[in-house]
Amino acid sequence: MRIKSRALIKSIFLNLLVAILIVYIAGPFIWVISASFQGENELLKKPPSFIPKSPTTDNYRYVFTGQVPTSYEVKGQLRSRISQEARLIAPALKNSFIIAIFVLLINLLFATPAAYAFARLRWKFKVGIYNFILGSRLMPAMAIAIPYYVIIQSLKLMNTHLSLILVHSALTIPFSIWFLTLYILNIPRDMEEAGLVDGCNYFQVLQQIVIPMILPGLVAASAFAFMTSYNEFLFARFLTTSITSQTGPVIISSISGNPDVSYSLISVCITLGMIPPVILAITMRKWLTEGLSSTITFR
Amino acid sequence: MSIIRTANGSLHRNVSRVFERFYPYASVLPALLVIVLFTIYPVVYAVRISFYQYILTKPNSHPFVGLNNFQDVITSYYFKNSLINTGIYTIASVTGVMIFGLIVAMLLNTKIRSVNALKIIILLPWAIPAVVAGLMWKWIVNSDFGILNGILYSLGAIESYIPFLADPVLAKVSLIMAHIWKEGPLAAIFILAGLQLIPNEFYEAAKIDGGSGLLVFRYITLPLLRPILLVVVVYETMTAILTFDLVYVLTGGGPADSTSLISWFAYAEIYKFLNLGAGIALSIIIALITLILIILYMRALKTEDTIS
Amino acid sequence: MKKLFALLSLLVLASMLLAACGSPAPVATEAPAATEAAVTEPVTMDFVVWSYGIETITDNIKNFQELNPNITINLKDYSWLDYHDTMVGAFAANNSPYLLYGSDHWLNEWAAAGWLVPLDKYCPNVKEYSKEVAPYALQGMTYNGEVYGVSYYADTMDFVYNDTLLQKAGFTTAPATLDDVYTQAKELKAKGVNEYPIIMAWSQKEGAFPEAWTSLVFAQQEGGNALFDAELNPVFNKEGSAAFDVMEWLRKVYTEGLLDPASLSMAEIDQVKSMQAGAHTFTIVPQYNMAELNKPGSGDFAGNFKIALMPGSSQSTVGYVRFYAMTQKVVDAGPDYIAAACKFMDYFGGKTNGDYTVVKRWAVENGLGFAQLPLFDDAGVIEAFGKWGDVPTIKQQATLARAKEGLAPWYGSWDVFARSEIHKGILGEQSSLDTLNNMADQWNELKAAQ
Repeated sequence: MRIKSRALIKSIFLNLLVAILIVYIAGPFIWVISASFQGENELLKKPPSFIPKSPTTDNYRYVFTGQVPTSYEVKGQLRSRISQEARLIAPALKNSFIIAIFVLLINLLFATPAAYAFARLRWKFKVGIYNFILGSRLMPAMAIAIPYYVIIQSLKLMNTHLSLILVHSALTIPFSIWFLTLYILNIPRDMEEAGLVDGCNYFQVLQQIVIPMILPGLVAASAFAFMTSYNEFLFARFLTTSITSQTGPVIISSISGNPDVSYSLISVCITLGMIPPVILAITMRKWLTEGLSSTITFR
Repeated sequence: MSIIRTANGSLHRNVSRVFERFYPYASVLPALLVIVLFTIYPVVYAVRISFYQYILTKPNSHPFVGLNNFQDVITSYYFKNSLINTGIYTIASVTGVMIFGLIVAMLLNTKIRSVNALKIIILLPWAIPAVVAGLMWKWIVNSDFGILNGILYSLGAIESYIPFLADPVLAKVSLIMAHIWKEGPLAAIFILAGLQLIPNEFYEAAKIDGGSGLLVFRYITLPLLRPILLVVVVYETMTAILTFDLVYVLTGGGPADSTSLISWFAYAEIYKFLNLGAGIALSIIIALITLILIILYMRALKTEDTIS
Repeated sequence: MKKLFALLSLLVLASMLLAACGSPAPVATEAPAATEAAVTEPVTMDFVVWSYGIETITDNIKNFQELNPNITINLKDYSWLDYHDTMVGAFAANNSPYLLYGSDHWLNEWAAAGWLVPLDKYCPNVKEYSKEVAPYALQGMTYNGEVYGVSYYADTMDFVYNDTLLQKAGFTTAPATLDDVYTQAKELKAKGVNEYPIIMAWSQKEGAFPEAWTSLVFAQQEGGNALFDAELNPVFNKEGSAAFDVMEWLRKVYTEGLLDPASLSMAEIDQVKSMQAGAHTFTIVPQYNMAELNKPGSGDFAGNFKIALMPGSSQSTVGYVRFYAMTQKVVDAGPDYIAAACKFMDYFGGKTNGDYTVVKRWAVENGLGFAQLPLFDDAGVIEAFGKWGDVPTIKQQATLARAKEGLAPWYGSWDVFARSEIHKGILGEQSSLDTLNNMADQWNELKAAQ
C-alpha cells in the first residue's frame, strides 16, 4: 500500500512537472499562433486575448495571395500601407530548408568518419588537427564576418545557396566532430574489435558496427546541424542580397523592423517558419528516443 | 592497429596496410578542407588587424600600434561593466540551461505518457532563430499589450502592467528566461543521447542492490554522463558569452547598458564606432577568455576521455 | 564659420520670402542645365535602400528607366534597423554599391571614410536644388562645405497629443512649455484618463532617441549652440543649461509616474501603436507617423491626434534629412556612370518638368515630410497633408527646425554612450549634472582622439 501511494505521488509530481514545462516551452508559440489568426486592432487591446475573439484567416490569405486583410482597408485618400515584404516568407523558408538539409548531410558525411578516426585510430598529427578543428570556433562571429565576406566574394558565391551551405558547414562541423568523438569514446570497443579480427577494414567497421551503435548521437548531431543552419542569422544577412538566397531569419528580422508590417503578419511568418523543423522533428522522433540499451551487452 | 590476416597472402596485406595508414587522413580531409577555408584566412586577417590602427573614418592611416588596441579596449568605459554583466548572465544562463536540460532529458527517458507531447514540443524553441525568439519574448513581456502582463493582471497578481524591459534588473531576468527557453532544448537533446548510452543493466543492478532514485542519480547517472555534460556545458558557455542576436532584439543592450554584454561591444566597436582594430582586439580577448574557461572546465570535470 | 552662418541666414530669409509669396503653381523652372552630360553607353547600377515603400520605389525606378532607356537600376534593400551596420560591413569589405540612401547622422562618418562623394562637385543641378532646400536639411547633407545628397525625405520631430483625451481632462489648448506639459499630465493622471500620460520611444537601440531628446533641448533655448559651440566643444554640462533643464524635467515626470517607465524600452512602432490605442496623451514622434495615427479606421482615436509646436521658449525642434548619395565607385567607373548617376539624382530627388515628382509622390501618398520648401505651396500636398495635420503648424515647425548639433565623424560612437547615460539619469542612478558631465567627458575624449 505504501509503495503504491508513493508511486502515485511520484507520478503526480512528474506529470505536474511535465505540464509546467509544456506551458513554459509551448506558451509563447501558442500565443504567436493565436495572434496570427487575429486582426491588428484586436491584438492591440489591453489586455490582449489569448483566444481570438474574432478569428480570421485574412493574414494567411494575404501572405499567400496578396489580398489585403479587411482590418486594413482604408476609406479615404491614403493608400493602405502594407508592405509586400511579408509575402517573401515562403521563398525564404524554402531557402532556409534547402540550405539546412545540405548542411545536415554534409555534417553527417564529413563529421562521422572524422570522429571515428579521432576516437579510435592512432595517427600522426591527430591531437594537433583535433585541437585546430575545435579551436576554429573560438573566434566571435563579428570579428570574422568581414573576411568571410571577402572569401565568398572572391569565390563569386555572393547571394547563392552554396555560400551559406559552406559557411554553415564550417560553423557546425567542429561541434559535430567533437560531440561524436566523445560519444564514440564512450561506447565499448568489443564489437569493433571483433569485427576487425574477423577481417573488416576500418571503413566497414565504421559502417556496419559503429554507426548502428551511435544512432542517437548521430540524430542529435544532425538535428544540431540542421537547426543551427536553419536559424543562423548573422552570416545569412550579410552574405545574401536578394530573395534568391535570403533565408527565413533574414526576412523575419527585416519585417519586424518594418513599420508597414503588422504584428499579425509577423506572427504568420513566425508560425510558417516553425513548420519545416517541426516536420523534421516528427520524422526523427523515433530515432531520437530509441534506446541503445538493448544493443549493448556486457560479457 | 591490428594485424589482419587473410588467406590471400602478403600482397593483399600490403594493400590493406596502406589503406589502414591513409584511412584516418582520408576520413578527416573533407571536414578539414571546409574548416581550413574558413579559418586560416579570417584568423590571420583578424590577428593582423588587431595590431594596427584600423579606423574606418581615417582610411589613409594604418600605423602599427602593437598592443594599443588591446589596451584601449581594456581601459575603455564599457569593459569592466559589460564583463560583469556578461559574467552574471553566463553563470545564470548556463546553470539554468543545464538544470533544465537534465530535468527534461530525464523526463524524456521515462515512460510517463504525458512525455510524448513533450518530445515534440521540446524541439520548438530550437526551431526558431534567436532573433525570432527575442522578438516573441519582447512582445510577450511588452508593457502595453504583452500577454504576460495581461495574464498576470487578469489573475489579479499585479495591479498595473510591469515594464519588464525598462527596469535594469527585470530586463536581465527577462533575458535570462528567454535564453534558457531558447537553449534548454539543445541541452536536453544531447543529454538524452548521453542518457541512452547508459545500459539498463546498471540501473537494474542498482535496484537489486536497493539503491534509491537520488543515489542512483548521483553515483551512476552523473558520472557516466560526465563527458556529455562537459560538451554541453562548454557549448552553452560559449553560446552565452557570444550571445548577440537575442540581446540585440530583446533589449538592445538597455536600459542603461544593464544588458550590454561584451559581445555587443565587440560589435559596436566595429559597426558603430567604426574602429575595426579595437573591435577585433576585443573579439580576440573574448576568444581567449572562452578558451581559458574551457580549459578550466576540462580540468574540473577531469574526464579520461582524451583522444591520445 | 561666420560666413557659413551668414549664408545660411540668407538662405532662411530667402526661403521664407519664397514661401510667403507662395503661388499655387510650382516655382518657376528651367530645363536641366545644358552642361549636363549625356549617357552614351548602357549603364547598370545598383541602388541600396532601407525597406520602406519598396513597391513605390520599384515603380519609380520603372518610370525612370522608361525615360532613360540606357540606364538600368537594380534595387537592393535592407531593414532600416540593420541598414547602417550592413553598409558599414559592405564598405569595409570593399563592396561598395553605386547609389544608396544616406542619413544626416552618419554622413560625417561615411564622408570622412571616403565612401561617399560630394554631389555638387559632379552634378551641376544639385547646386540649384540646394537653394530650395530647408536649412536644417541642407545642413544635414553638407560635409566640409560640400553637398553630398539630394533629399527624398526630411522631417521634424513633432510634439503630438491626443486631443480627445486632453479635452477629457478639461484642457482646450495644447501645452506650450514643459511646465504646461507637467501640469496637464498631472491632471490627466489624477482624473484617471491615463496611467502614464507621457510616452517616449527611448529604447537603447531606437533610432530616433537622440533626435527626440535633442528636440526637447533645442526647444528650451533660443538660437543655436544648445549642445556644442562653434568649435564643437560641449556647452551643455552645467546647471541651468537647456540640457540640464530637460534632464531635471525628465527625472521629475519619471518619478511622479507621468512618464511611462516603459519608455526606456520602447521603439517607434510600439510607441505609435500605443498612442493609437489611447494609452497615452503626449509623445514626440517623427512627423511622418501622423499619417498613420490619423488614418481613418486605424484606431479609436484616429483623426484626433494633433501637432503642437515643441514645448519650450523657442519651440524649435530637430529636423533630419534622408537623401540619395553617390559613392566613390561611381566616380571610378567613369563619366558615363557619373552622368547616369546625375540623371538619377535629377529624377529621384530633383525636378522633372519643373516638378519634384518623386518627392511629391512620397508626400502625397505616404505623408512623408520633405526638404524642398516649394512643395509647401503645392495644392496636392496641402490637400494630402490636410487630411492628417494642420499645414500651417507643420510648416511653422519646419521653419523652426534645426539640424542636430555635433554631427562629426565620432557622433555615432558618442551616441551609443550618451543613450545609456541619459537612461541612467532618468532612472536616478546618477544626477542630471553627472549625466551631462559624463557625456561631455566622453565627447572630449573622442574628439581628442581624432
